[in-house]
Amino acid sequence: MIKQMFSGKRLGLMGFAIFLLVNTSALFAQASMESLVEQGNEAYNQGDYRKAIAFYEQTLSMGQHSAALYFNLGNAYYKLNDVAESVYYFEKAQQLNPKDENILVNSAFAKNMTIDSIEELPQSQIEQFKNQLYGLSSLDTWSVITVVLLWIFVGLFLGYLFSNTVALKRSFFFSSLIVLLLFLGSFSITFSIDQENKNTHYAILFSPEIEIWSEPNQQGEFLFTLHEGTKFQLLDDLEDWQKIRIANGSEGWIRNAVFRKLD
Amino acid sequence: MMLRFTIRFILFFLLLGSTVLEAQIRFDAKVSKKRLGLNERLRVDFEMNENGDNFDPPPFTDFQVVSGPQQAVSRSWVNGVQSFSKTYTYFLTPKRKGSVTIGQAEVTIKGEVYKTTPLEIEVTNAVEKPNDPNNVEGLIDGNIHLVAEVSNTNPYLNEGITVIYKLYFRNPISVSDVSELEAPSYGDFWSHLIKIGRAEINMRGSYKGEPYNEVIWRKVVLYPQKTGQLKLEPLTLNLSLSVPSNRRDLFGRRILTQSQKTLTTGQRTIRVKELPQRNKPESFTGAVGQFDFDVILDKDALKASESFQAKVKVKGKGNLKLFNLPNINFPNTLEVYEPEHDEQVKINISGMEGTIEDNYTIVPQFQGKYPIPSVEFSYFDPLSSTYKTLNSQDLIVDVFDGPTASVSRNNAQTLNRNQLLTASEDAFRFINLDTKLTLINQRGFWMSRLFWILLLLPILLLFSVYMIKRFVMSKSEDTQSLKQRKAKQLAKKYLSSAKNEVLNQARFYEALERALHNYLKAKLKIETTEMNKSKIEILLLNKQVEQQIASDFIELIENCEKARYAPGSSVNIQGDFEKATALIVKIDRQL
Repeated sequence: MIKQMFSGKRLGLMGFAIFLLVNTSALFAQASMESLVEQGNEAYNQGDYRKAIAFYEQTLSMGQHSAALYFNLGNAYYKLNDVAESVYYFEKAQQLNPKDENILVNSAFAKNMTIDSIEELPQSQIEQFKNQLYGLSSLDTWSVITVVLLWIFVGLFLGYLFSNTVALKRSFFFSSLIVLLLFLGSFSITFSIDQENKNTHYAILFSPEIEIWSEPNQQGEFLFTLHEGTKFQLLDDLEDWQKIRIANGSEGWIRNAVFRKLD
Repeated sequence: MMLRFTIRFILFFLLLGSTVLEAQIRFDAKVSKKRLGLNERLRVDFEMNENGDNFDPPPFTDFQVVSGPQQAVSRSWVNGVQSFSKTYTYFLTPKRKGSVTIGQAEVTIKGEVYKTTPLEIEVTNAVEKPNDPNNVEGLIDGNIHLVAEVSNTNPYLNEGITVIYKLYFRNPISVSDVSELEAPSYGDFWSHLIKIGRAEINMRGSYKGEPYNEVIWRKVVLYPQKTGQLKLEPLTLNLSLSVPSNRRDLFGRRILTQSQKTLTTGQRTIRVKELPQRNKPESFTGAVGQFDFDVILDKDALKASESFQAKVKVKGKGNLKLFNLPNINFPNTLEVYEPEHDEQVKINISGMEGTIEDNYTIVPQFQGKYPIPSVEFSYFDPLSSTYKTLNSQDLIVDVFDGPTASVSRNNAQTLNRNQLLTASEDAFRFINLDTKLTLINQRGFWMSRLFWILLLLPILLLFSVYMIKRFVMSKSEDTQSLKQRKAKQLAKKYLSSAKNEVLNQARFYEALERALHNYLKAKLKIETTEMNKSKIEILLLNKQVEQQIASDFIELIENCEKARYAPGSSVNIQGDFEKATALIVKIDRQL
């Protein structure tokens, strides 16, 4: 009995030790990766962009990222005149931090280098409103809002249950009803943002030039060409063909294209 | 003095004599033509330049001698040089077709025997117009020819070829005037006529191995634009000729007659080969020849809103005017104007040669770097029968000092690049030095376990609180309110028939009274027979109903009776109904 207790205690101690070990090693790894980024930054500042890229990409390969890291990668590739890579990493940076001005400015520089000029499709007012609403905050913030709204609703409803006067009861009831509606709205917005994120895949074209066809075979009509650095949406695929849509709404099929998905 | 003169004189004669002695003796056989029809005549001349004896003609076994021999001797002195010729002429007609030999003739000159070489004559089928050497037509046909010389009759598509039209003529014909009757139009070719100033006669030309006078009439450079058998239309010339006739003038010279003759080159066929499909580069636009290719920028660093020029240049030999230069794919934010096309091409007998250029004027709008991607140009080299591809190098234009391309600040409405971020001096930003990192595959809060817990917890809380409240309430709440509710329901039940009769006073009170009696019957378990007011009052009081309520109840019943038996009296139907309801509730509570 005593022995058992003892062993249990030992086990607990060991577990604690392991926990500490894992934690500290994780901390060390974190520190080393941050130093990698720092080395990369230094190399960038000295104009050795290839070396900087090597450091940054090593960090990425270790499963860590940040908007700043992607931004720096985009900058380094821009300095090396690599259009597609540069556009790609600026897009990645924008995904993580959509409102950063530095990213927007440099991304515009990178997009200057691309060859295709694509007029964006004008958005309907409903779409604009939708995009504004969705763009208010990120998916996680929306889900936090959803949870908070539910808590508020529950609080108000409890208030309704336990209040004595009719006036108090009535105001509690109606406000809880409003909050419930808000909660449902917030939940559905979060849900549809998530669905949209899952169903829309964007990619950056890395092939220097690619032909867009109307059908996934050579009998189709040749539509237009795209050049490296252009962003498009992936819609479908069949064998080695991909159906894509570009910002002006044109759709078509590409074959054996080199591109990199943004998610 | 005299002596020296004599010596000179003797020397002169000696020299003269030696030249005479040196002159070679020739004895030749000449025929008017080497090919003739069976029904034509052949003239054979045996000519010697020294007088000879014992002329022995060959046996004309395969010929019939029409006339001859005719002997002609001519002797002339020109500048002290004597020339002599003696000719025996025969006119023959062949007896059979095929290859016929005229044998050797012999003559003895100065004691030596000379022989002519045997001549091979080919006799063909009879011709329509027998060629009589004395016939003017025949004379013309045999001695004047118009020929189209094609440099290459089997070229590739778009490979340059030259066609030279030559006029050959020889004695005794002379050409006095030429006019073109029909000039070819070169329908399936791109053609260029090379100008020839004056027609010059080349005396040393040769046609089929025989000496002729040659005139180049026309030179054309052609680039076939179609594959297959292309017909080269004939060139037809009308010639005015001077031809000696059979008549002679007073001095024995032949009289020249003017004659018109139409000559044509005949149709030539050019077999144009298709360019090979194998290994055909994608950038091939039809250039055939030998070329150099380059893209040149006049500046590679400039301010925004200044302009620079990009030049696409092809230099070399080939069908320069017949293909389009490759386009440059400029980055989208550069303002590019339509290129100016410039050709400096000379066309000579070997084809087109020179340079063609496309000059683009470009005005950058924003600052930044603009890579101009490599441009590919490919052509077919007919000499090696292969495609060749040339690439220009990648170029970069650096634009400084200008506005940056716009970025719309709203992420949801993604970038609209064609707007200006007005005159902002935004330069390319430096890297972000923040080194904080997060896991790439971090799962978001949405749909995570925590999210669901936080979402379900309040719902459970609400539900449980509600249940607890209900449970506690059902225990603690006094029976009073429950009973009260029951009584109310009861009253409603009993009074419902009365309520239906609100409009009819008599019936209403009847129904109301019955309802009240029924209620009491049910509640106090008394018989209808016992129903008198004092008894009811006592019963109610016995059941601990308050005095006041009991008396009110009795009063109500009395009211009902009054209203029933004295209709028209002022009554308050609504008021009585409510009173009844209230009373039933109160009694019920106290029972």
